[in-house]
Amino acid sequence: MKSPGGERAVRALLWAMLLAWLVVTLFPLYWQLITALKTTEETNRTVPTFWPEEMRFGNFAAVFTESSNFDALVSSFIIATGNTLLSLLLGTMAGYAFARFPRHAGGENLAFWILSNRMFPPVAVIIPMFFLFDATPWGTDSHLSLIILYLVFNMPLATWLMMVFFRDAPRELEEAAYLDGYTPLQAFCKVTLPLVIPGMISVAMLCWIFAWNEYLFANLFVGTEVRTFTIVIPTFTHGSQTLWNLQMAFSLIAVIPPVALFILLRRYMVRGLSLGVVKG
Amino acid sequence: MERSELPAWFVAKRGRPPLQVGRWVPLALVSPPVLVLLAIVVYPTVWMFYHSLQDTNLMRLFQENWSYVGFANFGTVFGSDRFWNAAGQMLQYLLFGACLQVLLGTVLALALYELVRNNVARTALLVLLVLPMMLPPSIVGVLWKFLLTPSNGAINQALLNLGVIDEHIEWFNRGLALWSIIIADIWNWTALPLLIVFSGRVSLPPAVFEAARVDGAGNWQVMRRLTLPMLKEIIAIAFIIRFMDAFKFVDLVFVMTSGGPAQSSELPAYIAYQRGVREFEIGEAAAYSLIIFVCSAVIITLFLQYLKRVVKAQGIA
Repeated sequence: MKSPGGERAVRALLWAMLLAWLVVTLFPLYWQLITALKTTEETNRTVPTFWPEEMRFGNFAAVFTESSNFDALVSSFIIATGNTLLSLLLGTMAGYAFARFPRHAGGENLAFWILSNRMFPPVAVIIPMFFLFDATPWGTDSHLSLIILYLVFNMPLATWLMMVFFRDAPRELEEAAYLDGYTPLQAFCKVTLPLVIPGMISVAMLCWIFAWNEYLFANLFVGTEVRTFTIVIPTFTHGSQTLWNLQMAFSLIAVIPPVALFILLRRYMVRGLSLGVVKG
Repeated sequence: MERSELPAWFVAKRGRPPLQVGRWVPLALVSPPVLVLLAIVVYPTVWMFYHSLQDTNLMRLFQENWSYVGFANFGTVFGSDRFWNAAGQMLQYLLFGACLQVLLGTVLALALYELVRNNVARTALLVLLVLPMMLPPSIVGVLWKFLLTPSNGAINQALLNLGVIDEHIEWFNRGLALWSIIIADIWNWTALPLLIVFSGRVSLPPAVFEAARVDGAGNWQVMRRLTLPMLKEIIAIAFIIRFMDAFKFVDLVFVMTSGGPAQSSELPAYIAYQRGVREFEIGEAAAYSLIIFVCSAVIITLFLQYLKRVVKAQGIA
């Protein structure tokens, strides 16, 4: 208020910064889109064009002329969905125990220990993990190996967030159900569970995105029998030539699910990403 | 009466919720995740600790005749230029990647909150700004490798057209490879601190700010005396989360440069992977892993202490 001129300058500067960052954020995505629409000849020019001369919407279909690309999306879907269901099941059970019977479930320290598993860098223990899975009947190169491996980061997240959600659900309702003669299981299923369904959906979506996007484990563990799109796209070549237009078209198709989920659940996103500290 | 003045047995008894189920039920609910983590995280960690003190390589591992060498692996690691080179690069990444992301994200989040008052416009802008974070890292890597292609990449062409540069920048030579990765990472992850700080700002009680306005505080004063102090913890959390992620950060290195050229974009986590998985020096890889493990353990412990405090203050726990 003291110097309106100075304040206006700061506002103008912040506006400029915000808009500049918007351009920086969107330009690569714009480039991805227009490259996906270009002809192969146009993507290989020495001076790139900033608007496609000829729109090739057929590129999106051309991605799937090689059936292995479609299989990769299917594999990613199977792994992400399988892992999400398992994470959610285990996370809901443990989260409920931590929220309702903290002392009998091992206490706060156990909950924090489970959470800490999400934060450790998996790359540090990836070699023994590989030998461990190699010794199992299903081996490393299978859907099941990644479904189980991704529990490392998704199950702690699910446990922790479900614990936060169960704590927010009033326990008085559950106690009232006990007085009405419900068994603990009935009280859980009919009273508490419906209260945390929205939370469960957001946890499921978060887990699904993380599993869908994962690269490091997939890169080492699978590749012959099973291939996820995250390891197919970086090595997307046709003979000796990189078909940038098809690679970008493929990656656009692959980012649609996480982006769509994010737009749906952005309210819960923050809570999940900051591990429940910030109320989203 | 203060809570602490109550006799201890009374507090203990009152604090204990009535257990409606058998004692085994909570244990049974908690044990599956614990067992899974023991098998796929704790066991590999112990294995890594053990082999960091052995002269294991792939041959010896299969013949099962490795032997104890004390701290020789650590000597090799700390005595190698490759490690110190990567440690320096890690510092560069922490400073210009992680820290810059949080600073930039904080400024952008507060600018977005203060400048855009319309709710629909605000949400639309937020969604657009946060989009990069949703992309799989391997796609981010491919996309930026493509954008930064020296000969006919979009960035070089855009800079040429704008007159910022006269000739193509070699984004993937020795001097710039790591910077290219950092640029891609800033694009990818500035969104996270932005989202966290923005949500933190939204959840601050408006009454406090109205009171400050009534008292005649200017925008700058409100920002410095009220907003920033109240967001202190949230910003700290954004910092620690990005620092924890920094030790996991390898995806873009893999996809964009494979650590090269001449190891100029290697980070310790990448070497740990490379020494073990590609060069079969498992003992040495384990030593690298242990060093990374200890560094991240320090940050994680710090974060969990912090989390306990914040969670308690918010009354969640």
